[in-house]
Amino acid sequence: MINFSIKNTLILYTFLLITILIASQSQLLANENKSIDDQVKEISYLLMCPVCQGQSVGESNSNLAHDMRDIVRKQLEEGKSKEEILAYFVNSYGESILASPPPKGINWLLWLLPGVAIIFGGLGITLFLYKSQGNKSEEKQSKAKTKPEVNNDYIKRIEEELEKDNS
Amino acid sequence: MGYAIFGNRVNVKTSPLVGNKAPEFTLKTFDGEDLKLSDLKGKTVLLNFWASWCMPCRQEAGALEKSWQKYKDKDVVFIGVNVWDENSSALSYLGKFGGGYSHAMDPNEEIQVDYGVGGVPETYFIDSSGKVRDKFTGPLTEQIIDYFVLKAQQPEENES
Repeated sequence: MINFSIKNTLILYTFLLITILIASQSQLLANENKSIDDQVKEISYLLMCPVCQGQSVGESNSNLAHDMRDIVRKQLEEGKSKEEILAYFVNSYGESILASPPPKGINWLLWLLPGVAIIFGGLGITLFLYKSQGNKSEEKQSKAKTKPEVNNDYIKRIEEELEKDNS
Repeated sequence: MGYAIFGNRVNVKTSPLVGNKAPEFTLKTFDGEDLKLSDLKGKTVLLNFWASWCMPCRQEAGALEKSWQKYKDKDVVFIGVNVWDENSSALSYLGKFGGGYSHAMDPNEEIQVDYGVGGVPETYFIDSSGKVRDKFTGPLTEQIIDYFVLKAQQPEENES
């Protein structure tokens, strides 16, 4: 039986937070050491191929996707950042060229809702487990308090029968 | 008016470039001329992207040629940009459908991306100040060309 307490939950959340922080930090370090090829690949997967059905530039074999990958490479070699390159494509094709919507305006909801859902879902589950633990201990306590009434006549008869046997 | 010309087609796509400065380009035409967009300031430019394997491009070729004949002396420049193609196929196409205006190959396949081309044919209408005024996706007709060329020749604030 899992014994859930607020303390355990806090420890769990702290552990998760630290894991996320370490993961994001190592991701940042990894990004700094990426080769041009890796960066081209990464940026290509952030762009949707305008002539394909639901494929990113990284996945598509179309002429246009090929040209776009070449442009990404050229711009990286010119020293442009990932954000500058994405902005270039957005200027030409609009925001629909991005594989994921930029976090601004109403789009923030799309980015925030999953996190909010996880936090509130986690809290809900924690609360549910905590409450059900509380109910169980309450049940135990009430069971202890309300002992079943002993049938005295029955016990008396048993004792009488035992005495008869012994005598 | 729009419905009469375009029917129920929704080919007049919005482009982030509309209302903004047209990306600069320099082309070497198939006739060997250098063509720079900024040199065409003061003129309306019809920039048409095409490919030899593109059937709708063949469909619009006649309308482009007739319209060019009509507008060539009225400060309107027609430019055809060939994309995703072989040089020999492009030249063979031009022999049959090219018309009298200038055509060039997108040298590094970059101009098409600068303009946000997502297929052929696609046409951009650039006004005399160098601003992109409209983008049209699909085969043009003489009526459509008239509509956009005349619109590009009008001051921007008068647009409906």
